[in-house]
Amino acid sequence: MESKILKPILAVYVGLFILFLYGPFIVLSILSFQQGPEGGPQFPIIEWSTYWYQHLFGLTPPSRIAPLPVGEALVRSLTLAFMTMVTATVLGVMAAQAFRKRFRGAGVVFYLIVLGMMVPGVLTGLGTSLLANNVVGIERHWWSTAFLAHVVYTFPFAFLVMLAILNRFDGSVEEASWSLGVSPITTFRKVTFPLIFPGVLSAMLFAFTLSFDEFPRTLFASGRDQTLPLAIYGTFSVEIHPNIFAFGVMTTLFSFALLAVYGILMGLSVRRAKKMAMQEDIA
Amino acid sequence: MTQSDPIFRLEGVTRRYGNLTALDGIDFGAEDNSYIALLGPSGSGKTSLLRVIAGFEAPDTGRIWFQGRDITDLPAHERGIGFVFQNFALFPHLTIFENVAFGLRNGATKVPDAEITDRVRASIDMVGLAGLEDRNPDQISGGQKQRVALARSLVMQPKLVLLDEPLGALDANLRERMQTELRTIRERLDVTFLHVTGSETEALAMGDRVAVLDAGRIVQYDTPDAIYDRPIISDVALFLNRFNLFEGTLKDGSFHGAFGAAPVSSVRANDSDVYAIRYDRTRIFDTDASDLPGPALPVRYLASEYLGSSIIFLFETADHKTVEVDHHLSLGEPRDLSVGQNYILSWDPAQAIVFGKEAAQ
Amino acid sequence: MSAAIGKRQKATTFQLLAPGVVWMILFLVAPIMMIVYVSFWTQTTFAINSTLTLDSWRNFFASEAYVGALWTTIRLWLIVLTLTFLIGYPAALYVGLLVKSKTVATVLLVLCVIPFWTSFLIRVLAWRPMLGKEGAINIILQKVGLIDTPIEVLLFSELSVIIGMTQIYVVFMVGPIAFMLGRIDRNIIEAARDLGAGFGRIFWKIIFPLSLPGVVVGAIFVSVMVLGEFATSGALSGRKVNLLGNIIVTQVGSLKWAMASVVGVILTILLGIVVAGFLRIVDLKREI
Repeated sequence: MESKILKPILAVYVGLFILFLYGPFIVLSILSFQQGPEGGPQFPIIEWSTYWYQHLFGLTPPSRIAPLPVGEALVRSLTLAFMTMVTATVLGVMAAQAFRKRFRGAGVVFYLIVLGMMVPGVLTGLGTSLLANNVVGIERHWWSTAFLAHVVYTFPFAFLVMLAILNRFDGSVEEASWSLGVSPITTFRKVTFPLIFPGVLSAMLFAFTLSFDEFPRTLFASGRDQTLPLAIYGTFSVEIHPNIFAFGVMTTLFSFALLAVYGILMGLSVRRAKKMAMQEDIA
Repeated sequence: MTQSDPIFRLEGVTRRYGNLTALDGIDFGAEDNSYIALLGPSGSGKTSLLRVIAGFEAPDTGRIWFQGRDITDLPAHERGIGFVFQNFALFPHLTIFENVAFGLRNGATKVPDAEITDRVRASIDMVGLAGLEDRNPDQISGGQKQRVALARSLVMQPKLVLLDEPLGALDANLRERMQTELRTIRERLDVTFLHVTGSETEALAMGDRVAVLDAGRIVQYDTPDAIYDRPIISDVALFLNRFNLFEGTLKDGSFHGAFGAAPVSSVRANDSDVYAIRYDRTRIFDTDASDLPGPALPVRYLASEYLGSSIIFLFETADHKTVEVDHHLSLGEPRDLSVGQNYILSWDPAQAIVFGKEAAQ
Repeated sequence: MSAAIGKRQKATTFQLLAPGVVWMILFLVAPIMMIVYVSFWTQTTFAINSTLTLDSWRNFFASEAYVGALWTTIRLWLIVLTLTFLIGYPAALYVGLLVKSKTVATVLLVLCVIPFWTSFLIRVLAWRPMLGKEGAINIILQKVGLIDTPIEVLLFSELSVIIGMTQIYVVFMVGPIAFMLGRIDRNIIEAARDLGAGFGRIFWKIIFPLSLPGVVVGAIFVSVMVLGEFATSGALSGRKVNLLGNIIVTQVGSLKWAMASVVGVILTILLGIVVAGFLRIVDLKREI
């Protein structure tokens, strides 16, 4: 059988494919342990050291290489990602909730929302800054115009996640609640929301990571004060030192920490989800 | 059972889904403090009817009255009508106690904690679940879930509880036990149960009165006995699953069918001529029998089914129609029949029910 | 429907949708309209005014550099799209169809997604020590003895941009295809095999057609992202490769809003044609 030969070949291929995905980052991680401050961003490794990590936190004696201007940028990015996460998730949950009932114009509204993730960042960024700069005449800031553009980008993701969750949600528990004299709003708070919480968490994770890493929209729509991706981009044009590699490793670790928090929260609410699934099985 | 003013009343209620008419101008009222079974085949609109009364769906036309008030425009949570779902719809994230306490805690009127505890305990006691208060819904059986769903509804002291095929998800043994229990629980409270079911046995066994729904209309509303003995149209007889029905022609006071001609004493209006004789009124004779009580239907014996208190014999007519005979064991030992043999079925024509296009007799 | 309840339902739907819809109209639709509008404004050296003119449009098509950027964008997009498809499809075939165990398939998919938790720019940057003159690839090739002198064209060239983009976007091709392949009923393949069809025939007659919607979705993802790119080309080509996105960035940087808008409109039109074209191949609504 041909697939008997094909399968092992493809297995090896997939191994190479994954190496292709991870290779650059592995090389970057190795080079982040280059000796400093003389060691450059290339092979060979002169001597293994954690110099560039110390450099990142300002623990090394001053040298000709300036520390990365990331401290404030990091705080800004975290704040912006948090604001975006809350807004996008609230909008996403609301819109997805509305889509549980059929209504006229549902198709148009759906595409309008999804458009936000399909339009390239350059265009949203350019348009937003045009509007702010030449029509409304306001200054651009990471917390104003960039925030608006970030929500445009992340709201569709939150919306789609919630839509998938609510599609599988059995509405009879809500009706049961109404029939007990509980108003729709209290029902949403006490029944629907606790049960869709795992989905909400996923939507939040999506919105946060996308916003935290967002670059093209922010480049246009934020003003003088840089967010983290902008700060990194700024270092591209000047000479590169392994400190930026060390920084890359750190941000990746941070992402994984975030993922772990998500995992823990998810684990806590998964018991609940299981119960729900079991009840659905009986039905 | 006390007969009184209707607890709720439907006036010309119609509900359409696109081209499909689920409820077709329903007029219906139910007595206070009674057990009403709503019987209908699947697709007859029975669940729609329940959802419209509960306020989960709005009727396209018509009004709904409850306790003398027009509630058509009232949202579900302001109606005070209980609802028990086929899939129980317990809140999976709350304990049994909190499930039952849910309406009291989150309703429009504030109920003191002590009163909540008392009422919830009483309610859980009533359905026989004392001791399970701290369990989660996934830690109890299907029958127990159904009781929780009931307790959760009853603790709000509604005047009307709608039960949507409440026994549908339970196995046969449990179903029978729950039937009696539902009736006992209701009799202890001043409440009307409207119990929707697709099972004629369940409806006839449980309801003080039975409403038969067919194609979005209530075709008969009467006591179980009356419905059993006097189905108003041939469709009801068919749906009761207790009658052998024969097509034929009604002419000059006699019905001509596969069994020859039978004299007819009274005729019910129907949209076709149908002759109905109950399974347990049909009797078996040898082909050479001469003491037939009425018409003679030649049949071939197929099989039998033992039901505990009776035996069902299945026969086939010359035109391959299956005919059933229900022999109750209290009437004596059943006959010994051999498969493939020919027999004659007969009955007392006075016990037959005849439906005719020309009802005038 | 009872008028009161119907009205209440409509009101709820409206209230739930209004904030999101208003947000998208104000901050997505209006800005894009704005790009079209401003592309006809009059640009002076440091200022812009709303007198309508076709000057910027004329300048765009008169400039070899700008029109060149349009062709570069289209060329790079076609190359990257082809590469992501060619490299991604076999991987998707393995993950989505050939792996029997669901767990292994999930693990492989998660492995593909994990790199996305590294910042996009860091992932772009990681190609520099990989491709450079003294980069990992050159060192390995020299050690193995395949080459004597390092290949310089690896970095700061169109090639490096293509490699970088392919690596970053290939997963968007793998995901949808693997998803569609995973939905294929294995019994169909078994039945075909019982009838004596070889793998090649089964692939072209059954597997590939059924995976086509996934290919289209993947192609749309990749296209939208590649056509709007500017960071990868900026970081890996040493400004040698200019895409439409790069032009927009430079023009905005020098406050040439009108020209930036012209390029923006051209990019929008290009995207519209590409996406509409893909949607003609497969009716997604019917497939999914």
